[in-house]
Amino acid sequence: MNQNRVDEYRRNFMTALGGVAAVAAVAPSFVLQTAHAAGEVAAKPADQAVTDAKRWGMLIDVTKLTDGGAAMVAACKKEHGWGDEIHSDATQKAHWARVVKVTDKLTQNSFSLPVMCQHCENPPCVDVCPTGASMKRADGIVQVNKHTCIGCRYCMMACPYKARSFVHEHLIDQKAHSPRGIGTVESCNMCVHRVDNGQLPACVEAAPDAVTFGDLNDPNSTLSQTLKAIGGKQIRADLGLNTGVRYHGI
Amino acid sequence: MTSKFSNIFLASVLALATLLSGCDSAPAAGTNLETAKQKADQCVEPTDKMRSNHMSMLDHQRDATMIEGIRTKQHSLNECINCHVAPTKDDGTPLRYGDDQHFCTTCHAAVGQKIDCFQCHADRPAGDENYQHKVGSADAHHFTQGVVNAAMPTAAEVQMVAQPQQGAAQ
Repeated sequence: MNQNRVDEYRRNFMTALGGVAAVAAVAPSFVLQTAHAAGEVAAKPADQAVTDAKRWGMLIDVTKLTDGGAAMVAACKKEHGWGDEIHSDATQKAHWARVVKVTDKLTQNSFSLPVMCQHCENPPCVDVCPTGASMKRADGIVQVNKHTCIGCRYCMMACPYKARSFVHEHLIDQKAHSPRGIGTVESCNMCVHRVDNGQLPACVEAAPDAVTFGDLNDPNSTLSQTLKAIGGKQIRADLGLNTGVRYHGI
Repeated sequence: MTSKFSNIFLASVLALATLLSGCDSAPAAGTNLETAKQKADQCVEPTDKMRSNHMSMLDHQRDATMIEGIRTKQHSLNECINCHVAPTKDDGTPLRYGDDQHFCTTCHAAVGQKIDCFQCHADRPAGDENYQHKVGSADAHHFTQGVVNAAMPTAAEVQMVAQPQQGAAQ
């Protein structure tokens, strides 16, 4: 490849770039939002271990969830492929996330919210696990290492949020990024495969207006700033688990 | 003389029979093994090391991935599958790990060793563009993360360089 050709390549590339810039000028808000979301969850180099410098968390604004979180649950289902177990009955089927309807008995005020693993700082499921399969990653994501899970289901008993479920039947055609199988417990893992690649969890992408995802340890992150501005409640805050998933409007 | 002729006749019949049986035993099962053999020199490790140590590499990788979030592709099960397993059988139906055409099953059945991986893990590529990727493509496992970021030029870009467009500013 001679020098002239390289120059021409560069020139064409710059021309194409100009076109991209023009599009960006037309729709600045969209591009900014995308860039912002990508900046919040920076891709970690694949060969480096996660550290406790970050702690992933999310704030769900229930007042902005028009469907009570059904779209978030559907996105989770699609991403991880759970919920279509053919031999399990309704009580046995997997539920990584579910929509819970809450009604105040006194005022009859009612609303719905999505409930999944709350990614506690002090997770009871990790305390009780006899094999160490139920684990918390350094960056605060709580998950099940199914290679060491023996299916005893202590963690399901220990979880105050009923966030975990057990696979009762042989499965086929699992997603390549989300292995699931008989005899193991499973739960929301905050889309750990996506977060490690610098993407947002599937449920956050499904409800971008209502959910803020980010680093709880960074006081300048959008998540921390939003929490500071509008506040965020934990479910069963009395248990002192310091959950990574917070709610506004409950 | 008669016995000599009969000997020749017998020998030719035997040869023909051998030939025919050879044709019969050219099995569909060999397809993916052939694919694997073709790719032996492109594998992430030498063949003898892969034969004896692939499980310890996979075990090490799975712990690093689960516990520490290390997602390199060098020894990843997903990448083994992407490179060695076809999404479908020859007749177009999904290829599952119990089938004798499955790359892992061909060998594991021969040595009588059960595979547990695929009770949970996907046993074939998702059928995306990454399936049996070329060595040297930006997404290949042979590259470390630093090289992955330097994306290869696309076919369109290469063509743009190779063929000067009309009306381009001089």
